[in-house]
Amino acid sequence: MLHFQLNVHSGVPVYRQLMEQIRHYVASGVLAAGDALPSIRELARALAVNPTTIVKAFGELAHEGVIVIRHGRGAFVAEHQPVWPAARRRERLRALAIQLAVEARQMGASDPETLESLRRALADLGESNQPPSNHS
Amino acid sequence: MNEPAITAKDLAKSFRGGVIAVNGLDLTVPRGSVYGLIGRNGAGKTTTLRMLMGLLRPVRGEARVLGHDLWGAPRSLRQRVAYVSQEQQLPAMKCTAELCLDLSRLHERWDFILAGKLAQRFGIRVDAPMAALSGGDQRKVAVLLAFAAQPDVLVLDEPAAGLDPIARRQLMEEIVGFLGEGGERTVLFSTHIIEDLERVAEHVGIMDRGRMVVAGRLDDLQLGMRRVQIIFNGAAVPDGFRVPGALRTHAEGPVLTAVVRIDSEAQLQTLRAIPGTRVADFPLGLQDFFIELLDRPQADPPLYVAEISTADERR
Repeated sequence: MLHFQLNVHSGVPVYRQLMEQIRHYVASGVLAAGDALPSIRELARALAVNPTTIVKAFGELAHEGVIVIRHGRGAFVAEHQPVWPAARRRERLRALAIQLAVEARQMGASDPETLESLRRALADLGESNQPPSNHS
Repeated sequence: MNEPAITAKDLAKSFRGGVIAVNGLDLTVPRGSVYGLIGRNGAGKTTTLRMLMGLLRPVRGEARVLGHDLWGAPRSLRQRVAYVSQEQQLPAMKCTAELCLDLSRLHERWDFILAGKLAQRFGIRVDAPMAALSGGDQRKVAVLLAFAAQPDVLVLDEPAAGLDPIARRQLMEEIVGFLGEGGERTVLFSTHIIEDLERVAEHVGIMDRGRMVVAGRLDDLQLGMRRVQIIFNGAAVPDGFRVPGALRTHAEGPVLTAVVRIDSEAQLQTLRAIPGTRVADFPLGLQDFFIELLDRPQADPPLYVAEISTADERR
């Protein structure tokens, strides 16, 4: 089964940590469209967390359109990944960009070096999750 | 919404010599949920659980489990509730298999197969007398017996105390397994191991000096409490500066840190907009919150924070 790294002391609710990591697996292609996620029961036991936590994480991801829940069959990665609303996307990207910028400067990386590294990371993700270019 | 599995209203208990162990405690454990109770030593957790189990008579208030006062409740009701106490005394000369036989006569739903599976999983020899088992293994037997009774309500007083990390993890997995699919089983447990609570509990109650100081959904608590740091551009935090919603504030030089109850994202935006400052906010783990809340002189009055809930659950 896929590994999920929970940090229960962090103060970030476990269901949010799970959502984050599933999104990450989907974005990085580890989980592809149509792939089945582990069952709620399996995950709850493997992680020793309350099944309702898994239900909540799956429910919110389904609401976002990242996964689909087929009744009686389990959860699957959605065929088409959702595109966030522009305002929400900008806000989240800004936070992540600040984190990258701060750490890059702190370790002495030049700005072109940082940008090149980001460009390469995007290229490594491949084309599969590339949204249509005309969206805004 | 159906009736809660466990309720306590204004529950109080004092002992000879005037020691007030529990002082007006309110508690609601929804049916089908896992509720974790934490508090410092002497906060009154064990006394509360014993009153709920009908083993101690409160001096005031009421305690109900599955709608009934367990004090003097009929066996048909009592067998739907299992309790593992902190200092479980199992008969020294009996082995696990004999204890299972004895208890199966008192519990209609006794599950021998589950008992056997748990014994194997916990590494317990079912033919060894209790006297031959370590304290940790006896604790596992007590937990095994509680599970095998297939109760509707499982109450555990510090179930993980004295268990090694692997046994603790197994115990947590079994609690998760016990919940099953039906969503009708309820678990109430006290612990000092906050990590266990953060894994399995949906609801958390923090007790201090005989009272409930914080109670609510764990998610709401985690999302609703943040550590906020404000760095002022000057040499010091301005006199009289207050952070709205702060439970605790600490200022040193130009840096102010506070534990803040956040009711809305707008509240954080307001903080971030304070001119002449750099503002950062961090999630606050339950352990840190617990310490911030309760690490204060005993002479201070208890800090009462009350129910934490999301707006849509408020009525």
